Amino acid sequence: MRRSPGLRRLGRAGHLVIAWFITFAFVLPIYIALSSAFKSQEQILANPLGLPAPFTFDNILTALTRPDSLVVNGLLNSVLVTALSVVILIPLSSALSFWISERRPLLKGILLGVFALGLMVPPQVVLLPIVQLLHAIGLANSYPGLILSNVGGGYLSFAVFVYVGFLRSVPREVIEAARVDGASDLRIWWTVVLPLVRPATATVGIFLGLWVWNDFLNPLFILGPLQGQTITTGIYVALGGYSADYGQLFGIMFLAAIIPVVGYLVSQREFIHGLMSGASK
Amino acid sequence: MTRRPLRRTGLGLAPIAWLAIVLYGAFLLYPILQSVLTSLTDRNPLKTASNFVGLDNYAELFTDARLMESLRFTAIVVVVVTLVSNTLGLLFAMLLNRTSANYRIMRTLIFIPQVLSGVIVAFIWRSILTQNGLLNVTLQNLGLVDAPISWLGTPELATLSICTVVSWITIGFSTVVYTASLQSVPPELYEAARMDGASALGRFRNVTFPMIAPGVTISVVLCLITTFKLYDVIAVLTGGGPANSTRSTAFYLITVAFTNNRFGYASAIAIFLLVLTAVVAYGVTSLLRRREARI
Repeated sequence: MRRSPGLRRLGRAGHLVIAWFITFAFVLPIYIALSSAFKSQEQILANPLGLPAPFTFDNILTALTRPDSLVVNGLLNSVLVTALSVVILIPLSSALSFWISERRPLLKGILLGVFALGLMVPPQVVLLPIVQLLHAIGLANSYPGLILSNVGGGYLSFAVFVYVGFLRSVPREVIEAARVDGASDLRIWWTVVLPLVRPATATVGIFLGLWVWNDFLNPLFILGPLQGQTITTGIYVALGGYSADYGQLFGIMFLAAIIPVVGYLVSQREFIHGLMSGASK
Repeated sequence: MTRRPLRRTGLGLAPIAWLAIVLYGAFLLYPILQSVLTSLTDRNPLKTASNFVGLDNYAELFTDARLMESLRFTAIVVVVVTLVSNTLGLLFAMLLNRTSANYRIMRTLIFIPQVLSGVIVAFIWRSILTQNGLLNVTLQNLGLVDAPISWLGTPELATLSICTVVSWITIGFSTVVYTASLQSVPPELYEAARMDGASALGRFRNVTFPMIAPGVTISVVLCLITTFKLYDVIAVLTGGGPANSTRSTAFYLITVAFTNNRFGYASAIAIFLLVLTAVVAYGVTSLLRRREARI
């Protein structure tokens, strides 16, 4: 049963039209959010699906010049918390993973089992003791406290599993050769392992960066309302009440979402690749 | 006496590894242990002393109607989201599994909800679904309804709304997993099935479905884990309402801990939730893995 070339081309075009129609319906809420960020309140209510014409930057400017500086401070705090968490997590987890993969099978198995726990524990379960622990060591409601709990929690487990998985594919000879040359493990980790596991580092950096940036529960309860906000909790505080000022709402959300979305679009290849290699383990 | 070079080399890296292990111990293992201990007390941060109450908190779990309600709600969301997300994820993957730039762009777009924080997603949907929100405005503008529909205002519709929003988030992930699974199917298999005269449905049943079984396991388990810890979407979209009908167990746990200040009982719920998540995730994984092996 062969179809003629004409019929096949028509089928292909039909498929494309259907695919675009479904995709567009699916991302309609994103279109609404994006276009509404550049529309006035009246334009949004008159036609939520309309294009932003005339175009306005008022929502964005109002969000950036709020008297409480919630958006600007929130963005700065988020950049700080995310960057420091990831910058500490990468060397810590890669060194730990290299160390683990050099252990005897039994010890390695035990350690990996213990770290697997962190992949599964719902954050709500450990939140309360963490808040109490931070109180006890004098880091309650502080950024160092938030960063420490990011570094020591489930994110570390994720990083360990990505690195240990990747290290399995690194040929033993490379490391043994460095060892015969008299290099210490610390030196081997720094000069041999880290360059080799760069794809794993990309995966770890991208995902942990995104998760820390988007995290809601930990900043909300660890920082508390008085110590400033990350952008994610800041939005919640600013827009928590049922306000109907859509222009303002979408303006703030545009600013909060633009960094992770652009980051995703730029690093898309590594992103999807990392997702698949991480998921198949 | 010859020294074995291997001995010496362990040092240097060990302090960093141990630092990581100590941090993990302090911020993950110790909190779990602490939760277990606190769950045996009536600890309340507003009172100075706390008493050992044995298993009283665990006994209370079985008589707490609000906990049962939250479990029922969580179960509904877990089942609906897992089914919807995997069905639509697979359909999207099959629809978009082509090589041209158009399809690449569509796949990129469908993943975007995964990149946004739950808080932002929930605010977008809240502005669409709320009483005088954009959906009701549009429906009224078009003259399709006379009075606004309470998408978040009745228990049934609010549950439906939460399921929709959570599925909307997880579909992107399922689509990526299934796309990769489909691309790993060797085209020769389809060719062979076609030669044997298999219909499109038959090819799906006997070629596609067995080959994507590992993808099903990954996608289902991740949907389960995501839904079990659901908090931010509910906090923004419904705040657990109306009449506490959309409180997940994870959400209820936070309420008991930070609103009611019942740390002891909240810890018992936390341990219960941890065990439940572990049992379900482990059970479903082994079930699906066994099925993978069979087909």
